Amino acid sequence: MPDIAPSRWHEELAAHVAGGYAFLDVLTVVDRGEQYEVIARVVDVRSAAARLLTTRVAAESAEVASAVDLYPGAGWHEREAAEMFGIRFIGHPDLRPLVTDGQGQPLLRKTTPLPARVQTPWPGADESSRRRTRVPGVRDDWSADAS
Amino acid sequence: MVSLGLACCALEVESAVRCGLLEPERDHAPATHTVVLVAGTVTTALAPALLRATEGSHGAVLSIGACVASGGPYWDAPSVVPGADRVIPMSMYVPGCPPRPEAIVSAIRDAAGTRAAHA
Amino acid sequence: MSTVPSNARGVIALVPDACTSCMLCVRECPTWCIEIDAHTEQVTEPGARRPKSVSVLDDFRIDYGLCMYCGICIDVCPFDALHWRMAFDYSVTSRAGLVHSTERLASGASESSTNSTMSPTTSNPSLS
Repeated sequence: MPDIAPSRWHEELAAHVAGGYAFLDVLTVVDRGEQYEVIARVVDVRSAAARLLTTRVAAESAEVASAVDLYPGAGWHEREAAEMFGIRFIGHPDLRPLVTDGQGQPLLRKTTPLPARVQTPWPGADESSRRRTRVPGVRDDWSADAS
Repeated sequence: MVSLGLACCALEVESAVRCGLLEPERDHAPATHTVVLVAGTVTTALAPALLRATEGSHGAVLSIGACVASGGPYWDAPSVVPGADRVIPMSMYVPGCPPRPEAIVSAIRDAAGTRAAHA
Repeated sequence: MSTVPSNARGVIALVPDACTSCMLCVRECPTWCIEIDAHTEQVTEPGARRPKSVSVLDDFRIDYGLCMYCGICIDVCPFDALHWRMAFDYSVTSRAGLVHSTERLASGASESSTNSTMSPTTSNPSLS
């Protein structure tokens, strides 16, 4: 299915609930770089038919309507997405962190570094090469400081 | 034997017990020889609890699986302890992701007959 | 003991003669648990006009404390130098004992518990 415009996210979800897709399987986020893709998989339990609904919001000041009034189960999914990506779900009554103590960085953003991978020498590096090796999975803009 | 089942490795420990690989009469160690299995990823949040659960224990402590030995596939995660021997000394390391129940049983049998070199 | 399936992933074995130190396994390993030490030598084949550079394997190490047994190294090796081998009794008493180098990886002998650094107890025969 094509992406839903963020302004129509709540409306589309509501239409799906009304159409029988009343069970929320998962609501999560994918970091696409400039944008975050919000994904909701909704299921019609009578037929097991499922729909994958997606919308994209700008990574800077990312926010989208909360689905909690339509799918109460979205409560925890949105809390986790909020703490892992720093995305705001407008209308969610309690966006406390679910998994962490909330003091750290948004862990699932691709810009959040894994200091251990930066600090540990990659065994695949070619020591004889004068070029700085690009290590798979390690971004150039990652710092080695654990914050 | 006490199993601290923290993640997937706990299922293999369970499998070893449930499938009868550990035979109660044959494998029962004397009461003075306790064996503690740490089976599963140790997170930084859980580390104090792991220390409390094992302090004062004079038996063998077994590292079950890669996560306990080194953090395993999650060695790079800020929330994972990259090797639970940073929290408590380990008597024995069972490699695997997860180790087979047979490997776990074999290690328990080795460990149950000896005292751990515990501080 | 129960029957262990023949396709169970026990340990990763190496055929050193087939290894060209191409480093593909090292680079593709998700946990960075493989290390290869190698050097290049100049070799002149009979009849060749000039020598060529060949990579010589010095040491191949897998850290089984990190290995997650995904088998990607086995899949990517262009020379089939790595393969699965049934073994599960290689528990050790030291963390360093989990690093297997070339000789151990190449060993074709089945690894029994007597190979581990902890010897079976003799004080309680029922536990051996």
